[in-house]
Amino acid sequence: MAIETQPERAEPTGRGPETAGGGERPWWQHMGAHTGLIGAVAGYFLGHWLGNFLGGDFARSSLSDENDVAIVLGYSFAVIGWLAGLGVFNDLFLLMRGKPLPEEPRFLGQEGPGLAKYFRFTLDHKVVGIQYLYGMIAYFLTGGLFAMAIRTELLSPNYHIIGPEQYLMVVGEHGTMMMMMMSSVVLGPFGQYFGPLLIGSKRVAFPRLEALGFWLTPPAYIILLSSILFGGFPTGWTGYEPLATQATTGMDAYFFAFGLMGISMILAGFNMIVTIINFRAPGMRWSRLPMFVWGQFTVSWLQVLAVPVLVGACYMGLTDRTFQTAFFTNQLGGSSFLYQNLFWFFGHPEVYILALPGFGIVTEIISTFCRKPLFGYKVQVAGLLGVATLSFFVWQHHLFDSGINPDMRPLFMLTTELISIPTGFIYLVAMGTFWKARIRFTIPMLFALAFYFNFLIGGISGVFLSDVPADTTEHGSFFVMAHFHYTIMGGLIFAFFGGLYYWLPKMFGIKLNETLGKIHFWTMFLFFNTTFLPLFALGMLGMPRRVFTYARNLETLNDWVSISAFCLGASMLIFLFNFVMSMAFWRQREVGNPWRSRSLEWQLSTPPPAENFRRVPVILAGPYDYGVKDALPVADLDPPPGVIGSAYAPAARGPVTREVED
Amino acid sequence: MSSAEIPLPAGRHAAEREQRRIWWLVAVWLLLSLAACLVIWFVWYPHLPPGDMTTSARHQQFDIAVLAVTAAPVILGVFCYFAYVLVVFRARPGDDSDGAPIYGNAKIQAAWIIGTSMIVLWLFVFGTVELIVPAGAGAGEGASPIWKQSGAQTVAWTPGTNDILQVQVIGQQWTWSYRYPQFGGMESTVLDLPVNTPITFHVTSLDVIHSFWPYLLGVKADANPQVDNVAYTTARQTGSFIVRCNELCGIWHGAMTSNGTVMTPVAFKVWATAVQAREKANGTLAALPPYALTYDPTVIPQLGKDLVNVVGVTGAPGYFYGPGNPVTP
Amino acid sequence: MAEMAAQPSPSAAVQAEDEAFYHESGINAAWTGSRLAIGGLAFLFGCFAFAYFYLRSLNSAGRWQGSGFVQPAVWLGTTIMVLALLSASVNWYGLQRIKAGRKSIWQIAGLFALAMGLAAVALQIWQLTTLPFPPGSSGYSSVFTGFYPVFLTLQLAVLIWLEILLARSRFIPAMSFVEQPPTVTETQSVQRFQASLSSFTTVWSFMALIAFSFWFLFYAL
Repeated sequence: MAIETQPERAEPTGRGPETAGGGERPWWQHMGAHTGLIGAVAGYFLGHWLGNFLGGDFARSSLSDENDVAIVLGYSFAVIGWLAGLGVFNDLFLLMRGKPLPEEPRFLGQEGPGLAKYFRFTLDHKVVGIQYLYGMIAYFLTGGLFAMAIRTELLSPNYHIIGPEQYLMVVGEHGTMMMMMMSSVVLGPFGQYFGPLLIGSKRVAFPRLEALGFWLTPPAYIILLSSILFGGFPTGWTGYEPLATQATTGMDAYFFAFGLMGISMILAGFNMIVTIINFRAPGMRWSRLPMFVWGQFTVSWLQVLAVPVLVGACYMGLTDRTFQTAFFTNQLGGSSFLYQNLFWFFGHPEVYILALPGFGIVTEIISTFCRKPLFGYKVQVAGLLGVATLSFFVWQHHLFDSGINPDMRPLFMLTTELISIPTGFIYLVAMGTFWKARIRFTIPMLFALAFYFNFLIGGISGVFLSDVPADTTEHGSFFVMAHFHYTIMGGLIFAFFGGLYYWLPKMFGIKLNETLGKIHFWTMFLFFNTTFLPLFALGMLGMPRRVFTYARNLETLNDWVSISAFCLGASMLIFLFNFVMSMAFWRQREVGNPWRSRSLEWQLSTPPPAENFRRVPVILAGPYDYGVKDALPVADLDPPPGVIGSAYAPAARGPVTREVED
Repeated sequence: MSSAEIPLPAGRHAAEREQRRIWWLVAVWLLLSLAACLVIWFVWYPHLPPGDMTTSARHQQFDIAVLAVTAAPVILGVFCYFAYVLVVFRARPGDDSDGAPIYGNAKIQAAWIIGTSMIVLWLFVFGTVELIVPAGAGAGEGASPIWKQSGAQTVAWTPGTNDILQVQVIGQQWTWSYRYPQFGGMESTVLDLPVNTPITFHVTSLDVIHSFWPYLLGVKADANPQVDNVAYTTARQTGSFIVRCNELCGIWHGAMTSNGTVMTPVAFKVWATAVQAREKANGTLAALPPYALTYDPTVIPQLGKDLVNVVGVTGAPGYFYGPGNPVTP
Repeated sequence: MAEMAAQPSPSAAVQAEDEAFYHESGINAAWTGSRLAIGGLAFLFGCFAFAYFYLRSLNSAGRWQGSGFVQPAVWLGTTIMVLALLSASVNWYGLQRIKAGRKSIWQIAGLFALAMGLAAVALQIWQLTTLPFPPGSSGYSSVFTGFYPVFLTLQLAVLIWLEILLARSRFIPAMSFVEQPPTVTETQSVQRFQASLSSFTTVWSFMALIAFSFWFLFYAL
């Protein structure tokens, strides 16, 4: 039948004799996060000592008693030690001695059941996806806690809970934790796990780079949090110079962590692009690619091309603070505008790195739960490509009032408003898909609908911001805050939760509790809107961002927002409770294809076999052919011999293959 | 497969019913949009931020109102459509069938693309016009502004004429101060301005990036160190306003506020000359650096020579280069 | 067809087919990856090039170069650039020879390329420690002292790739480059090596181009 409701059972993985090599030693004798931690600590002390040795003669920042060079070198060596302890460099050293790498099936088979593999440097993209999932939930909840602190402080304009330095520390940590760490959501949980599955591939192009991309995120997280030990950083997540050069040592943590995360994003994007281009199964034409994969593909381009500029900007910020270049110091030939231009050249594609995967996830969801083909597949692809391309040309809309060259402003107003056209295509496709559908209001579908609702408000408010005269009042105010919380949180985070409820049965074979899920959705949706909708008004009424005090007549509105925010936090707790209880205790089994989806990942067992597919599948049709009589199944999972052999043109055919192809 | 509950019309009556429902939907949308636009334009517009105290604020009010009137039908259209489809096309309980296999519709796609493009282009044209006409719409235009206001550039400012009042806004951590070059470069900590006078703000900073935001004046200009950022407005009503800092500049960013008043031109002249005389008398004016469009607090000419000779050259942010350094600005 | 020859069982045969499919994908991935890497690197270096031109045109406080500015030694900078160019050219020449089947010529050329590349890196490090200006004394000095550490680190990283290729080439018999080896495993191994070598050459030539471009910016413009 076209849709497998009872996919083949998984092969017993990791219980056979092939795992004898890995199963005998206790977990702590393998390299993993514990050895990485030892390496990190050793590295930090080494680097710190080296920094004091090298940089002790530099005049220290007059505002602190720490040597920035020591701190930055400490972080660098800590990261190198962490990676070395994890075993990231083992294969590199093998290669440098000319030895061939151990074959991957040995690695995959070695993992086996149990939790230990999630703490190791592993080459299985599914494990990496799950690592990202847990990491991302942790980072998100940490950032959310900071947000609760912000809203507590903003309850009153003149009664202060925390001092101004601590307040800015909290604001910066919240923003940076969310913007920096949420970027991993993109190619994180779902992209790494399902990307190869959806293109019909058994593996990814560069599994070591992919795993390295994940393992750079825990040090980035820890380093970002370590800033608190140094008094935090006062610039918010944008790190504007020259305040960043003036700041005390907590600032180093920001630049370093952000640069590290940037490298992680580049590697993840790099791997994803090459995998999607080169590892598609035979028959997976570009016109049959699932929309989620198109989303991943476009996002990866943004990551590979835009994030190097961030790495450069963070590096320049660090050199300004350590060996005292003058990139951003006007009096010495630098310019504060240089930082703004470089940062926002990255910064704008960054927000599309956050938005585009949301588009991809909800498209998968609505097609399955409308049981209809996507309306205008090519239109949506054009929309994704258009948004990705145009996002490189709009960055100066963050700088409308900054005093840069004024004749650029109409141009950037035009490009920014143009970008709403491809974004509108997403809505066209969604609206067309709902016409004459059979809509099922499952929890993923609810989240997808909430996505469209929230992103519409967020997107239209973006049009208000792109208009330069209106931007004079709105720039830098809570209006901007409302805009990006609607698009990023209302968009991406809702899509993320939708994807989580949708795909958890496939990843773990466990369904999250329905009732709790519905409570989670409705409370989150309600309180999200009550929290962020008034922020538009607050911004228009003259409240700037990142302030701990405000006009007295805005106190009622701020109190309403704060209390809503606490309720929003509570709804996250409902989710957390549901997640922990369902995964650890209730464990409601759901193997098979509960959503009766046509998509390729649902045609496999739960969890998917170690190598995803027993055979390279041959793709026969697109995943959205619902309602079509005699629609071909999306793939042939057991192609006859010779089909794969004729799907490529090898440079030479040895005697073995010649036998097979008749 | 139950036949009675399929919402998908099969016969001609059903098709007509669907047609009628679509017309109802369009009618509801038009009505709601009309109501929303009327409410926005007549009820909301006069009270829209940032108010109507100055020309730039008024133009921004107009601009925001037009944007809202353009956006409201779009938002309502999408919401009405979704409300319709979510009700009409929901799967009835027990219905497991698929929807209709519609892959696309060239006419609808083309109409959408053309429609959205036209709206976007309209917004661009309108936005550019609204940017140019009120001399930059109160936004900071940098050191070489293109859209200037009309008025006479004079050395001394006279009330009742078309003379432009020059005000320099200096941001520093964490306070605002204002210098009036046409009054001898005197400095004030309150921003007093004359009504019905073209005003040019020269916004600069002494240390990090701040942003000058007198909300009710409809002006916003970033204060960058060693950069002169020019913004224009003309006040049309008297009254008081608050200036806030709009760019994170350190720990007291939230407390970096300042007061200002718009008063009659004559009263302003009286105040300004009084301040100028007072500062001349008590030596403040002499102690201030000479009025310039930007200031570099690390360069103190009187001390500079001595520092170079003795301990080397100071560089920002406070580090010293040794005397052996061949670079001496 | 069910009747296979006696030696490989059907599942082994299709497994070999699948492996060959991924072998092909892997080889194409080397091509795609190298071009993509060039794209990403271009944007990274473009960031520094933007800083160069932006600060130069702004000339804040007159300190793009400022009074008392001393240019870093042109002979040293040019030597470093020429070494990078030579390294890439020698490697490229070696690639052409190994494509014609002469493995040992590439090995020698590769060793020369590695040596010259390392010399370029070493000289650059030396130059950075003996600059005639402190890092922050002008815009030019900032971009110079900021850019070259990044560039030489990346050069070093790419040279590790060259070292890996040289080490690997020791275990591939020279005959494999002249005619196709008898077994599938060896064929795949040689093809992987060739793909990696071609990709390396592309990336290393790009790095040489960047070395030249920034030499032009810092010394000639």
